[in-house]
Order: sequence, then C-alpha cells, then structure tokens
Amino acid sequence: MTAPVFEASCRSILPDGSMLTITATRRPRAGRADVKCSVPGVPAQAERMQQVVRLARHTEPRYDSRDQVVLSADRAFDAATRDWELAAVLADRIVRGVFQAARPVVANGWSDAWHLGRIDGRALVNVPDGVLAGGPDALPHLGALTGQPDPVAATASARAWFPLHSGGDHDDLGWVDVSVRPLAGALDADDDAISVPDLDALRQGQVRAVLAGSRHFDGRGQGQWKTTVRFGETGFAGDSYGLALVMADRIARGREFMARGRVIATGTSSAWHAGKVETVDALAPKCALILREAGPGDRILLPKAWEGALPQGMREALRARGASLACVERIGII
Amino acid sequence: MLGSLFRNPLRRPPRQDAFDATLLGSVAIALPAPAGITIPAPCAAVLVDRGGRSRRLAAGSRIAVLEGETAWCVHPGPYTCDLVPFAGAPEIGLHVSFAVDASDPRATHQRFDLFLASEAGSVVDLAGFGALAQTALQRELAQGNLELPPCTTLEEWNTFRSGFNQLMYTRFGVTVDDCVPVDLGAAHDYPALLEARLAAQVVPVTAAVSAEPAAAMPAEAFVPACEDARALRRLFLELPCLMCAVRMAVLPADQVRFRQHQELLRRLDLVSLSVGTMPALELAAPGQPLAPEEQLRRARHSRRAAAALDEAWALLARMKVAGEGPLDVLFDEADRIVANLEVETGARRLTQVQDEVTA
Repeated sequence: MTAPVFEASCRSILPDGSMLTITATRRPRAGRADVKCSVPGVPAQAERMQQVVRLARHTEPRYDSRDQVVLSADRAFDAATRDWELAAVLADRIVRGVFQAARPVVANGWSDAWHLGRIDGRALVNVPDGVLAGGPDALPHLGALTGQPDPVAATASARAWFPLHSGGDHDDLGWVDVSVRPLAGALDADDDAISVPDLDALRQGQVRAVLAGSRHFDGRGQGQWKTTVRFGETGFAGDSYGLALVMADRIARGREFMARGRVIATGTSSAWHAGKVETVDALAPKCALILREAGPGDRILLPKAWEGALPQGMREALRARGASLACVERIGII
Repeated sequence: MLGSLFRNPLRRPPRQDAFDATLLGSVAIALPAPAGITIPAPCAAVLVDRGGRSRRLAAGSRIAVLEGETAWCVHPGPYTCDLVPFAGAPEIGLHVSFAVDASDPRATHQRFDLFLASEAGSVVDLAGFGALAQTALQRELAQGNLELPPCTTLEEWNTFRSGFNQLMYTRFGVTVDDCVPVDLGAAHDYPALLEARLAAQVVPVTAAVSAEPAAAMPAEAFVPACEDARALRRLFLELPCLMCAVRMAVLPADQVRFRQHQELLRRLDLVSLSVGTMPALELAAPGQPLAPEEQLRRARHSRRAAAALDEAWALLARMKVAGEGPLDVLFDEADRIVANLEVETGARRLTQVQDEVTA
C-alpha cells in the first residue's frame, strides 16, 4: 500500500472568486474528538464543518477510531456559503487515505444528505477546467469518484475509465458514465431508449450498437431501461472504449461483481452479442499510462491477446499498489 | 447486572406451538426443543446454560435439560441459499450450499454452538441466517478483505473461495460445500427493485438549506433496551472465545511479534472486563435514572461495539488463511478493531459526553 499521509489540503472557489484552502492533518487520537475544525472567526461554520465531515464518514465501510483529523480553513467565509463542503469532505478522506487523488484537488459542492454520500449541487456557475464540481450533472455522489453505483437513488449509474487516445505521455484516462432508469412502459425497439448527448450521430450509433449487443448477450435489460451515456471527455479516438462502456453498463444494471476502486478497461469487439472481447492496438503506451494512473482497489481489464506481451513486472507493480489486472476473453461470470 | 442480562427478560417467550421436526433441514436450521423429547435421526441437540456454556447430545438420546439450560435441536443440513455479494448489484449472486458440522473434537468451543448461545433468539431459520451471512460477506468485500472484481479470473475466484469458506467457518461455524456464481435476474429484477425504491421514497428535501440533514432519514425501529442487551450479551459471551482463538491463531515468530500479540490480548482482556462490569443502561448512578436520549446513545455505542466484534471474527478468519507474509497488515487491522472496541465500550460507560468542536 502507499505510505500514510499526515497532511493534505483541498481547495475550493469562494463566491468572490478567491481560493479557500482547507488543510487536514492527522494525529493520534489520544482521547480527543474524532474531528476538530477551525474556521477563523466563524465558530458556527466550524461546527457545520465538523457535522458535514462526520455525516460523510457514514458512507465509508471501514471505521477507524485511532486518529484525530484536524481541519482548518485559511480564511473566513460568510455563513451562507456552502460550496466548501465537498472540499472539506475530500480533505478528510485524502488525509486518511480513503480517497487518493492523483493531483491537487479543487472541489465545489454542497449537500443536504452527506450521510448518504449524495452531492446535491454547487453554487459555482462557471466551472473552470479541472475543478471537481458536485451536483446531479457532474459528480452526483461520493462513490462516483471511483465509479461505484449510487446506493440510494432510483437511477442506477456507474463509471468506467479508458485511455482516451493510444496512450503516450499526453494521454489521460477518461470516464464513461452509464446511468439507467427503469422504463415503465414496454418499448419494442430498445435502442430508442439509449441517449448519448455528448457525441455526434455516428458515434451515438456505435454506442447504441455496442450496448444493444452486450445486452443481447446478457439476455436481460432489453426494453427495460432508459439509458443515458455520458463521457467525461469527448475528444477520444478509436473504438477501444467499448469494453469500458460495456462494463459500466453491466455494473449500472447490477449484473457484475464490483471493484473497490475504478474499472479501467480497454478493448473492443465485433461480436458483443457473443460476449467476446477482441484486441486493440498500442499495447505498450497504454500499459504505461495505466501503470501511471492506477490506484488502490482499481481493476484493470485488458484483452486476452495482450496477456503474453505485457511489460515485465506490470502485474507485480500493480499488485504492490493494490490494483489488480485481468486479461479477458469474454465478459460475464468467469 | 449480569444476572439480569442472562435472565433474559427481553427474549421472546418460547413458542407455544408444538415442536415441528419436519421444518428442520429445510427452512429451519435450529429449533428450540422442549425437554424430554427424543432427538430425531440426523439432528443433534445443543444445550446452552445461562453462562453461555454449551454441550451437545447425539441423535437418539432424550433431551435432559439441567437447571437453567435452553435446548435447541440442530439439523446438520445441507442447506442452500443465494447470497448477493454487492448491495448495488442485485442481479448477480452466489449460490451457496453449506452444512453445520458435527462437533470438531479439536475445539473446546464449537463455533456454531456459540452462535446459538449468543445470537440466536429462538428459531434459527434459513432466511435469517442467510441474511446474516450476506451482511458479513458484503462487509468483507466493501472493506477489500475479500476480492470479487469484475471478470474474476479462476485464480482470483479460488482465493476468494478459501477466504469465504474460512469466514463462514470462523464467524458462524458452518462449512461451505459449494459456492457458484449465479444470475439472480429472475428473482431480483433490478428495474422492479428500483421502481419499488422510488415508490417508497419519501418526498425529497427541497434544495433549501435544512438545519438537520439527519432528520430527513426515516427513523428505523431501534429499541435501546433490546439492542443494548443483545449487543452486550454477544460481547460478553464471544470476547473470551475470540481471545482464545486469537491466541491460538498466531504463533509469534520472534520477540517483537510476541510482544505485539501479548499487548493485543491484554487489551482484549480489558475490553472483556469492561463489558463484564458494564453499568446498567437505564441508570446514571444507583437509584438515579438516565435520560432517554443518553440511553439511546449508550445503546448505539453497544451496537457499534458489536459491529467491531463482527469485524474481529472476520479478521480472525483472515489470520487463519494468511501465511507469515501479511501479518503486519493484519496486526494493524487488529489494532484498529481493538481501538474501536475500547472507544465504544468506554463511551457506553459514560453517562454523558461533552463533545466540543475544538476538543
């Protein structure tokens, strides 16, 4: 596992445009309160911060009473502002190693139901690039950070990640988010119920064909769901996102075992209706990218054909980081 | 205090209807048996006294109950049930068949008998037992102690199976004979489940700032006296057995490990002592009643301590399957769990808490 951290910070943009920094430190509890907060000059906000953090901890499966986390804001903010709540929750998670961020986090979002992990919205109107924004249209609940389905809502959704281009230094992982809602009336042509708002018509057709094929393989899910597919980044190349899309769809429909972290997949198929996974190009750069980005609990799925050609020591490096890798020939149970 | 605990005023009164042996082996795993009956063929009887000590009687003999003993008739099975390993994925499950073993001659405490003594109210039915097993499995998967990732490979499946088998044996005392992944789509239709959830949902809170977010949550039935008594009974009976098992599970390799192990057992012993001398729920001091909200707080701490106890059994299962390698991680886990137990039992003793933001 990674080395423990004792200090972490998370920033948030205040309504006046200035940057608020919330710093979290961790120290042995020694009989003190589990969370301690301070906001210069506004004790009421400190109290609210403590409440928010404690409520958000209810969504974690593992409870550790050995540490005290001290959260402090670097400037005062007025009582009506609530957009810092997500930043406080994330700072608390990063310092305890519950959430591992690859880069410094700027987050805006508030919620009335932190105990359910839900993020209700954000006050920030124009979200700059790279800012983690809460709300139904961006980050709807805390589990979505690692692609987990939302445990409470009536809409099931899940995310999976894939390399946007063919690996390389400037490439990044992008996510695809599939959310499904039960379809009340029976519909004869099920692909009508799949909407892909982010993409052009050609690629929309591809996404529909992939989902129709994989659901046919399942034998379930046809004509039952109203589906929305969103992409974090639309400028991706090729069709190697197929496996990630299929996995996100299967997880959202509750038909797949789950990873604790993200599912990172690359692979395509000409026969999703038979559940086959076929190989894609750019083995070496994609593996390098995945190796760079993978974190604890992540699950990496690659085509079976790659198995013999994986870079030396890749499995061990991933395992040391708490991630696992599988080369798959087919989707479905074992 | 303890006397009142084991007189069990809160346990449901024994069923008046006749003992029905035909239920055993199909829908019921164990039934309370009236004294004097002859134990039917494949079953065995487990007799538990007030202090939680148990003994077994073989089939064919007559149940002769001593003063203060409760008798159960236990059918060894095999039983089959479907477990859902992830709450968020109801359409994929595990089809498990398991059996209650004949008593293991090497062990002084049969784990299943301990389960009967500490957790079983009266009837142990298959559905209720399956729900308990499912909770234990889901928590282990959520914490990452067992892994069942998407597209599980055969190797990963075997690792999972050995961990799962050990978990079921250590936590409940049942042996898993077979376990295969199944498609539960027909039984748990996810669209229908979501529709039902939507229908059951209360009117969502408006976007306006609500002062108390927790108030929006529907209150579940939580009777402090019952919960508290049940949790404390579990802690009182199971902690000594757990300590005994932890002592046996690890053979310290060197001086450092020995110290660590010794320290762990010492702290567990203190927790056990603390549970054994726990003040009554409803009294702040002799003759002085405690406010209901403080009673509720105390009961919550008891329940959390019982949850930590569950984690401790799961950890013991991991210790048994683990080799020498990951012992550092396991001892750190043990440290966390014992710390949680200490905090919760300590808070259970308090009559009030001063909780300050700046403490």
